[in-house]
Amino acid sequence: MTTEHPANSLDDVVHQRVRLGIMTVAHQARQVEFGFLRTTLQLTAGNLGQHLTVLEKAGLIRIEKGYEGKRPRTWVALTPAGEAALRDEIAQLKQLIQQVEQAEEGTVTR
Amino acid sequence: MADESVPQPASPQELLATMRDLTRRVRAAQRGTWFPLLVFATITLLAIPVYRYAPYLDVFGTCRSRPDQKVCPTPSPTELGYWTVALLLAYTAIAAFYIRQSRRRGVGTPIRPYVVVGVVLAILMTAVSIWLTFHPVLPPPADPFSADPAQLEAGPAGWLINGLASPLAVIGLALLVLAWVERHWALLAYTVVYLAIGMVQGNHVIRSSSPWFFLPYLLVPAAVLLLGAAAFAAFRPRTEARA
Repeated sequence: MTTEHPANSLDDVVHQRVRLGIMTVAHQARQVEFGFLRTTLQLTAGNLGQHLTVLEKAGLIRIEKGYEGKRPRTWVALTPAGEAALRDEIAQLKQLIQQVEQAEEGTVTR
Repeated sequence: MADESVPQPASPQELLATMRDLTRRVRAAQRGTWFPLLVFATITLLAIPVYRYAPYLDVFGTCRSRPDQKVCPTPSPTELGYWTVALLLAYTAIAAFYIRQSRRRGVGTPIRPYVVVGVVLAILMTAVSIWLTFHPVLPPPADPFSADPAQLEAGPAGWLINGLASPLAVIGLALLVLAWVERHWALLAYTVVYLAIGMVQGNHVIRSSSPWFFLPYLLVPAAVLLLGAAAFAAFRPRTEARA
């Protein structure tokens, strides 16, 4: 019986450096403001906005807009689906690393 | 398209390393360790005039009097009232500080478990202290006017129960939760040292007739807390200080 290679299980929406970064920050922060994400990930506002749209359309994040005083603020939080997707992504990445290491060990033994 | 603007990483190892680095940076931005330590140092110092000048209110009716002498075998209910109120106000101030910092820095705060545990421990401290008033660890002497409490030994269980009734121990136990929610190894090490100092100090009875005999019990932990607040403020990561 063959098992599916973990690379095939990776979600294209999540498995992208910036979007994975957004989700990682949102997971740890519980909710994160647009400006913090932009500074931390060193992105332009437009670029970050595009990635957020992709994640929101996929139902992985929730975006809340509001004001603090006169300043507009945009807060981002992971949805339960987003939390699950991030957990899956990490598990798949770890599995990939394990498979690569096992393959390398097999090559050395042979 | 959004995907085209950023280079893709070469390996899963790099992705996981980036995630770890981001997590570390978010945690640094969420920390505000110096503030709780400063608040606790302040309320410990403010306890000094309460201990020295606040009257002993015999609300539990434990004092025994004779014409020339009055003996009150339990700690002052005024002091207990001070610590209960001071601790609850301290946790309110700490929660407000972390929420304000969270809004300013743009990251959520994980402070809720710390504040909840702190408030629960403060209430538990009050309850245990009142319970100890009526169920003392050491049997009350037949003649309260002749007994020297310094010569009695409470034993390990007694010290444990007395520790739960001690505001300074309660502060330390809650700091362990703060170290956990902030994933802060330096704070964990600091808290262990703080609790160890408290334990050593708690095992030494000061025999003195001075009305200021209690000063070391408050000044030593206050100094440790102040030093901790200064150290954590001075050595916080640049990202934390700037945010």
